[in-house]
Amino acid sequence: MRTLELDADGWGDHRAGQHLDVRLTAEDGYQAERSYSIASAPGEPLAITVERLEDGEVSPYLVDEVRNGDVFEVRGPIGGYFVWDGDEPEPVLLIAGGAGVVPLAAIARQRARVGSKAPMRLLYSSRSWKDVIYRDQLETFGIELVYTLTREQPPDWKGYARRIDDELLSEVAFPAAESPRVYVCGSTHFVDAAADGLVRLGYDPMWVRTERFGATG
Amino acid sequence: MESRVLDGNAIGGLLLELFGTDLTAAPCVCGTCGAREEMARLDVYVDCPGVVVRCRHCTNVMITIVQGRSRTWVDLGGTRALEL
Repeated sequence: MRTLELDADGWGDHRAGQHLDVRLTAEDGYQAERSYSIASAPGEPLAITVERLEDGEVSPYLVDEVRNGDVFEVRGPIGGYFVWDGDEPEPVLLIAGGAGVVPLAAIARQRARVGSKAPMRLLYSSRSWKDVIYRDQLETFGIELVYTLTREQPPDWKGYARRIDDELLSEVAFPAAESPRVYVCGSTHFVDAAADGLVRLGYDPMWVRTERFGATG
Repeated sequence: MESRVLDGNAIGGLLLELFGTDLTAAPCVCGTCGAREEMARLDVYVDCPGVVVRCRHCTNVMITIVQGRSRTWVDLGGTRALEL
C-alpha cells in the first residue's frame, strides 16, 4: 500500500469520490491502464492510494518502483455519479470493503474541509486490523467509525467480526426516515450485498450510490 | 475464470475519452425493458474482447465498445436513449 502525490499538468480540480486512470507504456509500445480512486479532497494536492496486487501489471510499479520525478500518463478526473460535494444536510453512510475506503476517505476529508455538519458514519469491512488503510488518519476526520474485521481480530476486539449482513446493517445504518445518502465501494459481491441489504431496510435505491472495483492490478 | 461484473464507473475514463464529457451520471434507457438508470448503475463486463454494458434489470446488452489499433467501434443498438 502506498499513497502517491501526483503533479499533473493541466489538471482541473476534482470532486470527492472521483477516480483517475493511470496508463503505463512500455518501450515496445505495450500499454496497461488501471483506475485508481483519488485519495485527496478537492483543493488538496492530488493523491492516489494504491494497493499492491501480486500478479498486477501496474500496481507493483506504482507501489515498489516509481520514484520522485518519474513521469506517467494520467486521465481524469472521472465520475459525476459517485461524488459528494458537502452541500447536502442529509446524513451520509459510507460503506467500504477493503481498498474501497479510498474514495470514501476523500469524502470524509471533504466534509472536514467544507465544515459540513452532515452526520457521517463509516462502516469499514477489512480482513484484519493490519489491513485497515488509513488506520491513524481515520480517527482524525471527526466522523463515526464502525469496523468489521472478517478474518482475524486483535485479542481484545470489541467491534464486529463478520461479513456485512442485514442484521449488521440494521444496527449501523441511519434510520431510513432520515433519507440518508449512501456511498458503497468495494468488490462486486461486497457492494451488491450492502446495497441490497439497505434496500431491504427500506432505503430508496436512489439514495445508494455504488462503485464496484475489480482487482485488475 | 468467472467473468467479472463491474459497473459504469469502471469505463468512465474510456467514455470521457470517446465522448469528451463525463457519462457516468448520464441516464440511459434500456432498449428492451425501458429501465432508466445512470451509466454508473449499469453492469459492465470488461473481461470480454472489448467492453459489454448490460441493463441491470433485464440483462439486455445496451452498449458494446471494441477498440482497434487506431479506431473504436461503439454499438448503442440496445440503448433507447442516452441523456446528456
